[in-house]
Amino acid sequence: MFEFLFDPKYYTWILQGLSLTIEITLFGVLLGLAIGTLLAIEDIYGRKLSRGAIAVYVEFFRGSPLFVQLFLAVYTVPAILNLRIDHYLLAFLVFGLNSAAYQKGYMKGAMQTILDDQMSAGLSVGMSKIQTLRHVILPQAYRIVIPSWTNEFCSLTKSTATVAFVGLFDLVSAGISIRAWTYQILPVWIVIGAIYLAWITGFSKIMDIIYERKKIPGVELLMQ
Amino acid sequence: MEAKNVYKAYRIKGDKKEDTKIVQAVKDVSLQIHKGDIKLIFGPSGSGKSTFLRCMAMLDFPDKGEIYLGDQCLTKPGVDLNKARARIGFVFQHIYLFRHLTALGNVELALRQVLKLPKEEARKRALAALAEVKITDCCSKYPSQMSGGQAQRVGIARAIARNPDIILLDEPTSALDPELTGEVIDTLRDLAKEGTTMLIVSHEMPFAKEVAEEMIFYDQGTILETGPPSLFFNAPNTDRAKQFMTRIINRTTR
Repeated sequence: MFEFLFDPKYYTWILQGLSLTIEITLFGVLLGLAIGTLLAIEDIYGRKLSRGAIAVYVEFFRGSPLFVQLFLAVYTVPAILNLRIDHYLLAFLVFGLNSAAYQKGYMKGAMQTILDDQMSAGLSVGMSKIQTLRHVILPQAYRIVIPSWTNEFCSLTKSTATVAFVGLFDLVSAGISIRAWTYQILPVWIVIGAIYLAWITGFSKIMDIIYERKKIPGVELLMQ
Repeated sequence: MEAKNVYKAYRIKGDKKEDTKIVQAVKDVSLQIHKGDIKLIFGPSGSGKSTFLRCMAMLDFPDKGEIYLGDQCLTKPGVDLNKARARIGFVFQHIYLFRHLTALGNVELALRQVLKLPKEEARKRALAALAEVKITDCCSKYPSQMSGGQAQRVGIARAIARNPDIILLDEPTSALDPELTGEVIDTLRDLAKEGTTMLIVSHEMPFAKEVAEEMIFYDQGTILETGPPSLFFNAPNTDRAKQFMTRIINRTTR
């Protein structure tokens, strides 16, 4: 049943697919964190116009299926611009932008729990708003946001399966190909599913450890 | 440092639109404080003392009026407020230490980021400030691991480490229990002896009597009466101040 696992041709496919899945997820989640942080800051301090623009951005990426966003990015946008853009790059960007829409919310929430007093304190010692954000607000907000960020990572990992539909070879594409060559259906999907499970579980465990290590002593009581 | 005809109002939002109130926290307040002076503001809670102090430090922007630090007018547009704030120390009622940093880190941060001191120099100055408030044993503790009194002394160390021209203290002891209040008051007494310029909002009357050159009675957004402690402890001129003093003195002697 599981003989395909020992066939070099098939396990190379699996490894190839896995590495693409991991690349897209990690890059997407990191790009999302960077953009999400900037959006959260702009949403708190920005003018009405930019807050409106952010709301539209967030609703678009949260409200429409990721699959549709990916299709638009890969087939429609390049056609309109009359450009040839690498599908990998576009997929990375879509996942990053999509994740940013969610992460903006997590970051904003985390920042708002500490903003009032910590910003006053930072300004009172002569730091600028930006210095206070960088040295006081963000280091604390990132610690608070780790659990939500881990959730975002888990859900984004599985969403990356949609890239199979725009011709990229991820873990699910590998499964589809192996199934087509071996006519094994259940065993292939059991293996693919187990790989997702192991990768996500392992990564969340690492994040849990980081969360514990980075915790500010005594602060968890304040946050409950 | 000087405040000239400062006004500040803020809006309190109610559940319904018509419940929204505009509170005049600071109404035409002027105050001068010279180098080496220690002045104490007191008055009923909710009268706008804290708001006024925050305006002095430009943590809140006055709606009208001017704040001067030396010859520099801070309320003019285009002033580098960060530079100005670096010359003003501020101690908060609820302490507001940086929660992710140790006591030493709290004091060091501004020395590194604002004064741009090299690492060693910043550490030396931070340790000196912590020694001044007698709290070097807490250096590596985080704010949540300290008692309120220790935390507030770190707050004071953070405010004095830059050698600011003036220190503004907003009810530095009112969030602490009587025992802890004592240690913070001792620290302030030491600062007073060294000739630190201080504007303190406080209701610690024995302390006021001892160190304040001038007491300022603040009620309903405005200064009702000013004078040396002896005036207030014997016979204040205004009825409001008389009432308030009687109540406070009864409370402390009881």
